[in-house]
Amino acid sequence: MKNIFRKSTAIITSLYFIAASTYATESVKDIIQKSNLASYYSGDDGSAQARMVIVDAKGSKQMRQFTILRKDQADLGNQDMLVFFSRPTDVKGTVFRVTKKVKEDDDRWLYLPALDLVKRISAGDKRTSFVGAHFYYEDVSGRNPAEDNFTLLNDETTSYLIKAEPKDPSTVEYAYYQMTINKETYLPMQAQYFDEQNKVIREMQVLKVKIVQGFPTVTHAKITQLSDGSYTEMQFRNVKYNVGLPDEIFSERSLRTPPKKWLK
Amino acid sequence: MSKYIIKIIAFSAFTFVLFNNINSVYADSYLPSVQEDDWGDDDWGDDVWADEAVSPWTLTGFTEAAYGQFLKNNVVKSSSSLSELRTRIELNYSHSSFELTASGDAIYDNVLEEKHWLTRELNIETSLFSNIDIKLGRQVLTWGTGDYVFLNDLFAKDWQSFFSGRHDEYLKAPSNSVRFTSYWRGVTFDIAWTPEFTPDKYLTGERFSFYSPFTKNNIAPAENFIVNQTNEAQWSARLATTIKGIEYTLYGYKGFWPTPVGINPNGIAYFPMMNAFGASVLTPMGNGIINAEFSYYNSLEDRHGDKVNIANSQIRALVGYEQEIAKSLTLSLQYYLEQTQDYDSFTQTNIFKNEQVDEYRQLVTIRLRYSTLQQKLIYSFFAFYSPTDEDSYIKPSIDYRYDDNLSFSIGANVFLGNKAHTFFGQHESNSNVWLRARFTF
Repeated sequence: MKNIFRKSTAIITSLYFIAASTYATESVKDIIQKSNLASYYSGDDGSAQARMVIVDAKGSKQMRQFTILRKDQADLGNQDMLVFFSRPTDVKGTVFRVTKKVKEDDDRWLYLPALDLVKRISAGDKRTSFVGAHFYYEDVSGRNPAEDNFTLLNDETTSYLIKAEPKDPSTVEYAYYQMTINKETYLPMQAQYFDEQNKVIREMQVLKVKIVQGFPTVTHAKITQLSDGSYTEMQFRNVKYNVGLPDEIFSERSLRTPPKKWLK
Repeated sequence: MSKYIIKIIAFSAFTFVLFNNINSVYADSYLPSVQEDDWGDDDWGDDVWADEAVSPWTLTGFTEAAYGQFLKNNVVKSSSSLSELRTRIELNYSHSSFELTASGDAIYDNVLEEKHWLTRELNIETSLFSNIDIKLGRQVLTWGTGDYVFLNDLFAKDWQSFFSGRHDEYLKAPSNSVRFTSYWRGVTFDIAWTPEFTPDKYLTGERFSFYSPFTKNNIAPAENFIVNQTNEAQWSARLATTIKGIEYTLYGYKGFWPTPVGINPNGIAYFPMMNAFGASVLTPMGNGIINAEFSYYNSLEDRHGDKVNIANSQIRALVGYEQEIAKSLTLSLQYYLEQTQDYDSFTQTNIFKNEQVDEYRQLVTIRLRYSTLQQKLIYSFFAFYSPTDEDSYIKPSIDYRYDDNLSFSIGANVFLGNKAHTFFGQHESNSNVWLRARFTF
């Protein structure tokens, strides 16, 4: 799999030399690819503990705490993910499993411990709230770059400003979004989602980045719904890369019997 | 005998761990909280989160008040379909090589005017030879692909809870069982052994009435509804694998009908022997999930279907589809068919010919679920409709999660039918509305 991606990278690179006139476009592609790698594919696998505080327009708070295990089948390719919820009490023991697929719909499962039930859930709308948070499923697992057209708006000293327009506007709730990508880390530090009237409706901000095993890692981020000021903050700790997660744990077994060894 | 052995093993394992670790729990509680500098430097206004994973013990639970009212005159004793206060206590102990769970409900039930304790779970889970998981003790077991419709899932259901508007969790009743699950090359094999057959919590007339073909009306015998219990074992097995995203499963069952569908020569209801086998497939299709399942119920004591006092064998089949049809709105549809075997013999021997079920009993179900306010508010509508019985069962509900601790639910169980004897139609007078408030800790 990795070879295929190397080949396609090679093809993209050679196109870049041939089509000098499309320099800017290719360059955007490179930025997006590097950004996608830095945001979602650090190392071959990873684990992290996460918590979210969800604050509604009236200021009332909810919490979610979970552990994420992730393994790449290939860089920029398919990924397996497990999310184990530990708090609050009514979601404790709930496990979410997803196989993120680049070329087709994701496979998703949910384990409900009270019923001992493994439920296959439809790939559905990726832009629905992840367990009640302002983060969408897509914000957690990564939006497929193939779904947007990108334009480089501004090449600043420390960052790129990139505009992303959806190829299929009916699948999203915004008209376009703009990302500020750090030139050093390639992490998007801010993303603003605009409506048709060019008004910002939703905003993602990275509040903290930490270098973990050489990988710049977002450890604190916030998404704000500007229409009512409600927001969710997400924080990570115990981030580890290249831990050697075995393929077998990304299976039904882990839903019923969480692989404790890898959750510490 | 075997059931006692299991109880003793589960209990002694549990107490052993309890007493061996009681000191460490106290020790842990005096330790400073975890030293995670990147976790502690932002104030989340809730220090509880920082203590995560310090102790292998967790204690959780909830307190819930629930009330329900019948919509029509009913022959049962109480005019409330539900009136109870319950507190759930759940204690977990997590060790690197095993997991202990003890959970139960302390209930004050104002419908039955009694207090009681219900053990929901009391089990130990561990792994053997790296690819076998064992869960021993009281547990809740579920499998199959149906939504509120069960074919190969012959584990105990609590229909009284389902009819009264308790949380969905209670539809599945626990049983004292041993479950072995082996994982080998992508194939999962489960065996669940329940040393003492655990039937459904069926209607007895205590909380809900039911139709009597003898009196031609609804009755509520309650404690006078005598059923001969069975203490023999039941076995359930499942073999499952996934090939190219499609989940294939085979099922087997050896035991008894889960409800008392037999009457013995002394005129007492009992659970006749029954074996079952079946299969299911489930796969994403289009933007949704499609599932199909069938099961053959072999009524061993009435192999030719000519015994008037014992249920005939059946073939059950189900097809379902679920899809998110609009943002946060999910639609599920199911078609279910139940064919009574040896229908001619059934007809010949049946003494209530005008009331007998169709050879092909059919059922369609629809579920609509809409979530809004950051998933804090959920509207749900579920309906069963049988074109053959000309009856239906409608279950609307609204769940509101105020915060991480407090939630409210309101809903109804409405039964409609043209005839007094049909599956759902007989429950017209059991129609009810209910509400619940829950505080989780």
